Amino acid sequence: MSTAQTQQRICSEWNPVNKDEYRGIWVYVEYVNGVIKDGSLQLIGKARELAGKINTDVTAIMLGHNLGDVVKEPIYYGADRVIYIDHPALAKYVPHVYANAIVQLANKYKPEIILFAATKRGRELAPYVANSLRTGITADCTELDVDPKTRDLIQIRPTYGGNILAHIRTPNRRPQLASVRPNVFPTPPRDVNRHGEVIAETLDTIPNVNGEGLVEVRPVVKGEELPPVEKADIVVVAGRGVGGIDGVKLLTELAKLLGGTIGGTKKAVDAGWLSADRQIGQTGKTIRPTLYIGVGVSGAIQHVFGMKESKIIVAINSDPNAPIFQYADYGIIGDYREVVKELIELLRSRRGS
Amino acid sequence: MHIKSNGSSNIMGGLTIIVPVKAAVPNVTAVRLDPVTHNLVREGVPLMLNPYDRNALEFALRLRDRYGGKVITMSMAPPSGKDFLESTIGMGADEAYLITDRAFAGADTLATSYTIAKSIQKLFPNFDIIVFGEETTDSATAHMPAQVASWLGLPYVYYAIEAEVKLEDRVIRVTRYLEDEGVYETYEYRLPIILSVYKNSNPPRDISLVRKINAKVNGLVKTIDNNVLKLERECIGLRGSPTMVTKIEDAKPIERKRQLFKGDPKEAARWLLENLIKEGVIRL
Repeated sequence: MSTAQTQQRICSEWNPVNKDEYRGIWVYVEYVNGVIKDGSLQLIGKARELAGKINTDVTAIMLGHNLGDVVKEPIYYGADRVIYIDHPALAKYVPHVYANAIVQLANKYKPEIILFAATKRGRELAPYVANSLRTGITADCTELDVDPKTRDLIQIRPTYGGNILAHIRTPNRRPQLASVRPNVFPTPPRDVNRHGEVIAETLDTIPNVNGEGLVEVRPVVKGEELPPVEKADIVVVAGRGVGGIDGVKLLTELAKLLGGTIGGTKKAVDAGWLSADRQIGQTGKTIRPTLYIGVGVSGAIQHVFGMKESKIIVAINSDPNAPIFQYADYGIIGDYREVVKELIELLRSRRGS
Repeated sequence: MHIKSNGSSNIMGGLTIIVPVKAAVPNVTAVRLDPVTHNLVREGVPLMLNPYDRNALEFALRLRDRYGGKVITMSMAPPSGKDFLESTIGMGADEAYLITDRAFAGADTLATSYTIAKSIQKLFPNFDIIVFGEETTDSATAHMPAQVASWLGLPYVYYAIEAEVKLEDRVIRVTRYLEDEGVYETYEYRLPIILSVYKNSNPPRDISLVRKINAKVNGLVKTIDNNVLKLERECIGLRGSPTMVTKIEDAKPIERKRQLFKGDPKEAARWLLENLIKEGVIRL
């Protein structure tokens, strides 16, 4: 099917592609406000594994201004090479300016694969890059593989609610692009003794921002907040069954005692019990903590999608038929208020003694 | 980079805002896939307006209500898409267009964005703002806004929560919220521009049944096919789609212990704690 297609006429807006000219796996390493995103580092680890299967290397791409030594970081996490652009026009993040800089580099070096962490910014950048290169892209992959024969990237993503996994390929175009949800792969260890090549590139043309671009950045002021759900080893999750804010407060107490954090299902967030950045599931965040405790969580497929990689799953629910028990290592059927209060008391008494 | 400095006209008459919307499959867990193409079988599936597109439409209606002009909704959908476009008129849109043709079937996001971008260029060349929903609830790629921006060579910003326009200067100030960083950013661009709207913002107003029925009875949704658009066959539908679904499988769950406890809460708490200590996932 793919050979038949290559011989067909292609869209006049597309450039002809000779696949053999494209080699190497790229990871766009997102660096904003002085921080490299974990999701990008996780992709370097995965890219290494894929590169081994098709005998190629891993290049990290970085953009910004006054980057300094941070450009070496991707090497420490496993990249063979870093290509970066340090330019005043990239001092502030402007989506189409950043995207066009990546397009410029891809046109010059012709990588066969470009991976993006599916952060909020990654989801904004990647489709523009793909489209400008007239190639395909798959969003929010949860697994990647390569076919050693065709060098096709196999982009695996849950679809239609998460109960089906689709394997997607871009057989006739290069490069092949995919974004990957943060935290589906582990972060590789940082090794400052690793060495690699660091290449400085420049912008071909001064970008046309078409206005002032970014004019103001304002972090949300937060009170005494628990860690974000994607950073915690232990996450206690409130479902609709906790019934209200009081229930969430009780669970927060448990989370604090365990040194973890609090999250919620879509239902709990929609009810206004928790802020949207604590939502776990397909339309929220993916987490892979060592311990997940779902309280009053029914176990809708869209929620399970965001937590099923947790090491140990605990469910507390009064409904013995709740689907969450199918995904749980340990389940307690009963009134969560009583069980959680006992847990809190038990933890306090054991620590006190 | 091809940024168009021109594109809008009649700005003092207010803003021309395009809101592309999608027919989402209401119950994503009960869909049928074509065994050969692995595409979603949309025929016979009841369609509804993608919920997040309603937030986008609300965002657009607020701008129109404040600065004047008109809001035009459009959708690439099967003929049954007329109904949910009537809902957009019911919510307050001034005009609605159904872009429908067998030739568009089987499109991935590249071919879909091409169809939408070229339709907008052809039908509404003087637009000021294109407003998308953050993503759809069924396929959730969030590709469309950036891809359409790439085809049209325009600046774009995702996750917008509010905007102000200086009509005389043709300048828009957009504030957006990055949920994963907990950061608000404000951008300023000359029009035209492309936005997507943060899904937890701009709670949508109700759909007026009277307006919707009026739209249906008077046939207010206009239908456009490829005889009008004349888009190149190689750029649309299956042929304009570089990605291929090559395999589908049921998501395999990790094997779980599935041990259950039912009984006295004190005993339950003790049982759980002992097991979690044994697993090494909590420390006392």
